[in-house]
Amino acid sequence: MTGMEEFHNGSEGAFNSEEADNIVKECIESVVGGDDYSQSQVNKWTASIVERCLTQLVKSWKPYKYIVTCAVMQKTGAGLHTANSCYWDTAMDGSCTVRWENRTMNCVVSVFAVAIA
Amino acid sequence: MSDLRKEKLQKKDKRIVKLAVEGSHGARGKDTTFRTKDSISTVSCIDELHHDDNARIGVAIENTYQMGPDKRFSVAALTDILQDVLTSYLQEERYEVEWSQKMTKTICEVIRARVKDLLIPRYKIIILVHIGQLNGQSMQMDSRCLWDTSNDTSVSYSFKNRYLYGVATVYAIYVE
Repeated sequence: MTGMEEFHNGSEGAFNSEEADNIVKECIESVVGGDDYSQSQVNKWTASIVERCLTQLVKSWKPYKYIVTCAVMQKTGAGLHTANSCYWDTAMDGSCTVRWENRTMNCVVSVFAVAIA
Repeated sequence: MSDLRKEKLQKKDKRIVKLAVEGSHGARGKDTTFRTKDSISTVSCIDELHHDDNARIGVAIENTYQMGPDKRFSVAALTDILQDVLTSYLQEERYEVEWSQKMTKTICEVIRARVKDLLIPRYKIIILVHIGQLNGQSMQMDSRCLWDTSNDTSVSYSFKNRYLYGVATVYAIYVE
């Protein structure tokens, strides 16, 4: 993942986006892996995904505030664009965005980690 | 392509992450994909706004002994900004792929500039913008934050016209 290189600057304080990436993928798979899109369940899914991601991220006991967002969209051929812009300390803070899809839905999860002090 | 970053002293506003999800097509730009049964996971790449060629040494910032923020963000002011920007950029527009790509980035930058203009010190800002096509699909967006509820805040605004919808979210985090 060449685009993510800048986060691995070797500094202890920097956010490890690769680790976050794995955590997020695991959480998504465990919640919606193998399911088809269902209007009645999607509310539960998004809540589960963000909650799980957050609890897993917190387990590493790093001095970060976390923001986790999740968007689940039914596949109908419609297009979606997402962008984010951040004003923060680039040495310490970082983000990680994971896009996951299966036959019937797309799922985009973003994690933002903002260092404390 | 971005260079390896050294530690920095000042805050820089430079990150924009852009994703495109179009139907069942694969990702655009550089990313890594691997398949697990019938699902695909991908990680997007990051576009840098500015490149800093000078190496900066990380310096510890002096303690200000400040217990809380002097000025907090007003939810009403943030909502006004989001409403203003989304309506002015998206009113009567149709969804087009290239245009949407540029528009999400532009709207992000504009919102960030306007939030910074509020001049509220010691806050880090994160802006999220989604623009999607209306095609009868169903969608759910959710977000959860681990932060200090007394100092940090978030505001969201969604806009819809006949052809597309736009959602913008601002997160403001206090720096202790």
